[in-house]
Amino acid sequence: MGLFELAAAKMLSSAAMLLFGTVLLMATAKRISTCVYLFACQSAILTAEVVAAGYVQHMREAYIIAGMVLLVKVFAIPFALLWLMKKLRTAHDVGASLSPGYSVFVMSGLIILSFAAVRLYLIELHATEVILAAAVALILNGAFLMVTRSKALMLMMGLLVLENGIFLAALVTTFGMPLIIEIGIVFDLLIGLFLMGIFVFRIRDTFDHLDVSRLRGLRG
Amino acid sequence: MLLASILFMPAAAALLVLMFKSRRAATSFALGAGILEVLALALAVWRISRTGSLELGKYLRADSLTAFFLVNLGAVFFLVLLYSTSYIRHIPAGRFSSPRWFYSLLFLFLFSIIAVYLAGNLGFLWIMMEATTLASALLVGFYNTEGAVEAGWKYLIVCTVGLAFALFGTIVFYVAAVHAGLQPEMALQWYALAHAGKMLANSPALLKLGFIFLLVGYGTKIGLVPMHSWLPDAHAEAPSPVSAMLSAALLNCAVYALIRYDAITSNAIGATFSHRLFIFFGAASVFVAGLLMIVQKDLKRLLAYSSVEHMGIIATGLGLGGFFGIYGALLHTFTHSMAKSLLFFGAGQVREMVGTSKISMLKGLARQLPWTSAALVVGLIAIVGLPPFGLFVSEFSILREAFSQRHWLAALVLLTTLSIVFAAMTFHFLKVLPGSSQMAESKTAVSDRKGPEFVAMGICVAVLITLGLSIPAPLNYLLKAAVAVLQ
Repeated sequence: MGLFELAAAKMLSSAAMLLFGTVLLMATAKRISTCVYLFACQSAILTAEVVAAGYVQHMREAYIIAGMVLLVKVFAIPFALLWLMKKLRTAHDVGASLSPGYSVFVMSGLIILSFAAVRLYLIELHATEVILAAAVALILNGAFLMVTRSKALMLMMGLLVLENGIFLAALVTTFGMPLIIEIGIVFDLLIGLFLMGIFVFRIRDTFDHLDVSRLRGLRG
Repeated sequence: MLLASILFMPAAAALLVLMFKSRRAATSFALGAGILEVLALALAVWRISRTGSLELGKYLRADSLTAFFLVNLGAVFFLVLLYSTSYIRHIPAGRFSSPRWFYSLLFLFLFSIIAVYLAGNLGFLWIMMEATTLASALLVGFYNTEGAVEAGWKYLIVCTVGLAFALFGTIVFYVAAVHAGLQPEMALQWYALAHAGKMLANSPALLKLGFIFLLVGYGTKIGLVPMHSWLPDAHAEAPSPVSAMLSAALLNCAVYALIRYDAITSNAIGATFSHRLFIFFGAASVFVAGLLMIVQKDLKRLLAYSSVEHMGIIATGLGLGGFFGIYGALLHTFTHSMAKSLLFFGAGQVREMVGTSKISMLKGLARQLPWTSAALVVGLIAIVGLPPFGLFVSEFSILREAFSQRHWLAALVLLTTLSIVFAAMTFHFLKVLPGSSQMAESKTAVSDRKGPEFVAMGICVAVLITLGLSIPAPLNYLLKAAVAVLQ
């Protein structure tokens, strides 16, 4: 076995553990910028995963997708979010409604839950259990962040983590959707974040804060 | 070629309209481009009804079901454009909120909806469905008031998360199709999936899982209870032409996406699973929205909840299946579009003339705005499903299917809620319309201004009465062809 094969195999087998690490650290994070860096790490792990899968399966398309993920999710989006935070000049805490310890506790429970959920579909999917569970855990962690963090930027972070989970699920079950569809999805994601950025500025200008749990003018 | 031109004309118009700085020039350009687009849509529908289906490459495909929804979309878009020509008079010029930006976003919105209808590939369909959210989010927040910003943000976040689940469902369908032995490049074509039937039947658990995620995802866009939280806010805070477009075009577009998946699932593993879910979510939406309508305090929010209720009726009709169930549900998408456009146009007039749409602040509208009030009354009679308007026919058809299948629970929920809704809407309208005006002395005389908006409302009324008396033969032909696609 050559060095590259070994590296690819190691990457595929250990990626899930690294992803669980980012997920749990994100649950403990108190500052938004920590979450942004963790998201960049998470996306870098995904990039490595795509490259490894592409190498093992001999798929050229995978390298294009890996390049796209690297460019967009490891560099462009984190930089844009950090720039946005600098521009907004507001408090940097995540606005957590649960303490870090409690968040980790809930998140560990969700990881166990994702193993249980994946069990049901293993026979039909022919995929590795642990990496599929990592995908589901990312989706649940994203949703968990969106529900328990009240800052507008953290809602965007939660959405990004959720999207990473869906991307990983598609990768491990089918080695990715057709290339053109993947590009379209990433394009939608970018435009969506751009619009959310516009709305974040508008929220700050209209309400003088970014705590979306305090937006409750429309009820009933 | 025809498919590509009806798809890309709105995109081109969205860019070109930005060149016109003055309101008058932008309006005439938008009207011209809109009429051209509607004519092209009519031509496409005619061609499809002659040949059965049209396709272009791997990504565009249209059949009779598409054609029926395109008729609906073309009619609504034309009316909205006509209504907007005078409505946007009061829009102040600002960044992203001047008449040309309004029209540009409206055309982009139209482009994304048409793309959903024409998508032959389910991944492409998802991308364009997300694009409908993105194109309309700025329109929802167009006024930039506190309410508009909150509603726009909520709309963007809730629908994006919902659609993320729909993406997961799409991937699960793709996985199921690839494992069933379809070629990867064919595994997202709805046409191939709908005819794969027995091949897909090998992985029922995956199809069920995928369908649930798709129902939650696209159901968020439809506004089915309990995923409806964005809908009343967005409909109430958006400019009224946009509310009409959301309610009468966007919701139907998401219904269309679910119908496609329902056809695939039913072919593979039988109709029971997906149809039960449709009836469950449909009946829940009808019931919850009906109860919430009693306590509404704002005219446009009331209309928004009425949209949730009618989407529930459509989902129930689709879930019942059978000729009359599907026929009624499809017809109901059309009749509801017309009635809801009429009502949102009327409510828009009220908001523009009086300055508010809060029910407690409105009184004696019938004296102040007699023509608008007349339109609201006609809309009220139509939307609660009384004859001689089209909604009576479509609701009757769905109920007929419910009774003939002895589905007593669905029939009971529908009939009970329809009477609650009738009472609630009449109650609110009776508070608003009669009596003497309180505002008469405070403001400059408020009065009806007769212009294109009344032409738009007149067309709505005419279409509703026509559909209530007898469905025109060409439309009936198209409708039956669309039902045949699904059976």
